[in-house]
Amino acid sequence: MNKKIIGIVILLIIVLSATAIYYLQGGGVEQVTLKGLVGGEKIGFLEDPQVKKILKAKYGITIDYSKAGSLDMIKEEGENDFLFPSSQIALEIFKASKAQKIVKSAVIINSPIVFYSWDIVVNALEKEGVVTRKDKTLYVSNFQKLTDMIMEGKKWNDIGIGEFGKNKSVTVISTDPTRSNSGNMFTALLAGILNDGVIDNSNVEAIIPKLKQFYSKQGFLQNSSSDLFNQYLITGPGANPIIAGYESQIIEYSRENPKAWQTIKDKVRILYPVPTVWSAHPVIVLKPSASKLIAALEDKDIQKIAWEKHGFRTGVAGIDNDISVVPVEGLPERIDNVMALPTPEVMQRIIQALETR
Amino acid sequence: MRRKLSYLILLIFLVTILSSSGCSSSSGTLVVLSGSENEALEPIIQKFEKQSGIKVEMKYKGSVDIMLELENSTTDFDAVWPANSLWVSIGDKKRVVKHLKSIMTSPVVFGIRKSLAGELGFIGTDVSVKDILNAITAKKLSFMMTSATQSNSGASAYIGFLYALLDNTENITKEDLRKPELKLQLQKLFSGINRSSASSGWLKDLFLQGSYDAMVNYESIIIETNKELIKKGKEPLYVVYPHDGLVLSDSPLGYVNRGDAKKQEMFKRLQEYLLSEKVQEEISALGRRTGLGGIISKTDPNVFNPDWGIDSKKLLSPIKLPSPDVIEEALNLYQTAFKKPSYAIYCLDFSGSMSGEGEKKLKEAMTMILNQDIAKKYLLHSSAEDVVAVIPFSDKIFDIWEVRGNDPQQFKELLERINSLSPQGATDIYSPVIEALSKLDAQNLDNYIPSIVLMTDGKSNTGKSFYNLKASWSGINKDIPVFSIMFGSADAKQLEEIASLTRARVFDGKHNLVDAFKKARGYN
Repeated sequence: MNKKIIGIVILLIIVLSATAIYYLQGGGVEQVTLKGLVGGEKIGFLEDPQVKKILKAKYGITIDYSKAGSLDMIKEEGENDFLFPSSQIALEIFKASKAQKIVKSAVIINSPIVFYSWDIVVNALEKEGVVTRKDKTLYVSNFQKLTDMIMEGKKWNDIGIGEFGKNKSVTVISTDPTRSNSGNMFTALLAGILNDGVIDNSNVEAIIPKLKQFYSKQGFLQNSSSDLFNQYLITGPGANPIIAGYESQIIEYSRENPKAWQTIKDKVRILYPVPTVWSAHPVIVLKPSASKLIAALEDKDIQKIAWEKHGFRTGVAGIDNDISVVPVEGLPERIDNVMALPTPEVMQRIIQALETR
Repeated sequence: MRRKLSYLILLIFLVTILSSSGCSSSSGTLVVLSGSENEALEPIIQKFEKQSGIKVEMKYKGSVDIMLELENSTTDFDAVWPANSLWVSIGDKKRVVKHLKSIMTSPVVFGIRKSLAGELGFIGTDVSVKDILNAITAKKLSFMMTSATQSNSGASAYIGFLYALLDNTENITKEDLRKPELKLQLQKLFSGINRSSASSGWLKDLFLQGSYDAMVNYESIIIETNKELIKKGKEPLYVVYPHDGLVLSDSPLGYVNRGDAKKQEMFKRLQEYLLSEKVQEEISALGRRTGLGGIISKTDPNVFNPDWGIDSKKLLSPIKLPSPDVIEEALNLYQTAFKKPSYAIYCLDFSGSMSGEGEKKLKEAMTMILNQDIAKKYLLHSSAEDVVAVIPFSDKIFDIWEVRGNDPQQFKELLERINSLSPQGATDIYSPVIEALSKLDAQNLDNYIPSIVLMTDGKSNTGKSFYNLKASWSGINKDIPVFSIMFGSADAKQLEEIASLTRARVFDGKHNLVDAFKKARGYN
């Protein structure tokens, strides 16, 4: 008799827990697995357990992604349900050639191009009037002067940084603009500064020799923004005085490596170029089954995690990014001075020219 | 009945939970292609194996080999750990490397006997590559360095020299490399090399065996060397950082993605372990730089010893590396135009036991070395100044053939001669080596890096003995290494004896003779 009761109780527990697990795993909504190609800098975000949980429980979505470069994925979209590149330009290029394949698209998150530098470098640049401080934020307020210094071959030693030896030239190190999105965006920005305005078909040919001159001095370039950022942090000012990267990188780093961040944060400087460019991250839906992905990623809670843990500013109207919750100082509330990107056609012309640098 | 049913449901339920919660076993082997400088980290890796149940097999290779393996996408490894991320960038053409992260850093430096560094005026001051060049030209300094085309430390030093000698041009171009005055200066600089190697780890072992003045190596390996020197009551090396041509190795560990999720998980655990705070401290205790911002965190003055010229507070300002196409061109020019010429004599065993597979493999190996198109793939091709000689032997010496320079026709003829040989007779390994020694003795060895490579498949059972060889080597009294390649039923003891006398090493070709020849060629 007793055994029978025990048996029933066990059965009850099983049924209850199975039901609970079923609902926790998102059994309440129809489940779908979506295949997509994703830019490498968003992997931390999509792998975030909280993000995965919300997507599954609330929207019934499991993402099965492969990492791909933004420019590669639009060339070869394959049998995927969606693409998640790192630039608006990628979307525009895709639209231009394969518009009929797009079910829907929307920018989900953004990150401005920033420069990462070091205390001793920024102190000198402040004296030169290249960098100015507003509240706690550092702006490259005289970007023109910085590019002049670079193009003229000024040495760090000339502006009072003796620590790097006599021969090190002032420069901003980026990733390979022909292979990596952050390098590509930086090039668009640099071209705009050298031209004193967004470049278009009428003036791109005039600017290409200058861009080539800039990159001819660069030597070996990293292929990925995360590799460059890691190197910057590890090797320090002597090897990487200034690099170009995404604002999100430092926020994600500080969250994932809180202890290491404490040891370095007093030396690291984030510079906001004036103007800068946005690296927008659009989701391009290729199959109707993936349509709900956009609404899911625009979820308020997911957007909050995207900012607070991974440093992406929201791409959704009506949501604010609270800078006080992030353990990085000097972030501006808003990114005000933003340059428009050149057309995809112009960008492709630049990439093509730099491939034979 | 009902009870049975409920137990059955419970069982099914438990199985479902267990299988869905990813509770898989973590055993398995992770094969890592690694630079030889990481050998010192073995105890740390072993601790990880114990803790995790994951077996890590470290396969030590030169950086150029790691680059080539990535290019050819051979599948017998799961991760790469070269000394510099450069090699991954050049080799990873198929973009299979993921999660690449620097584990530690170490600059490539000159370690110079402290009293000599003092005489040269290198202590407590900034030293430039030109200062070093001056000391070499004045015959006050000779040094050991690994081959720039086989090992990262050699390549790094070489690229640093290029920068400095081109007066720190912003970036090296292919045109710069063709400047005649650069060639002259590099040749002068490399004339100071007394011994070479394909591996920085082995260069240290060699240094400790002899009485040498200096070597180019990682700061970390100079620290290891100094610890041994102090133990032996010998004078330590003083670390000189050539300030106008300094290159930092960043030791990146990356996963080679072949779509095996379990392997990737194993890899990530290894990488996280190596980057954990505690293990980073252990790595720092081995003389590797860890920490952020280019500043070494928590340095132990017994490791980063100021008496050895190591200033852990000083900011290192390494050079910017040139673009991959320029590096490839620079390595090619090193091999064919800049390096100190090598004089290599191959003593090849054609005794009776070699017939069949052995003969076939030996001829294949010599084709790889002599056919310049094949040799070039491995950056092992000859310069116009190099000399290659071949002494085929059994119980007697068949002949001596020599090619000076890199004329393909002459190499072709030499190969034809080798290919026309057929094995016969007993084995005397000592006579051909003694012959080779006397041949090298007749040359002006200031102009060459000399070496002898003895390949044999059997025990020496007739003719001359080790004592004859020893007498000959000591009589000549020049630093000529006799490397050996072991094949078939070769006697390891006989070969080790020769290697230890001449400060060389034995390569095991029992499983892969061609590969052993390739390795040995990297030391010529």
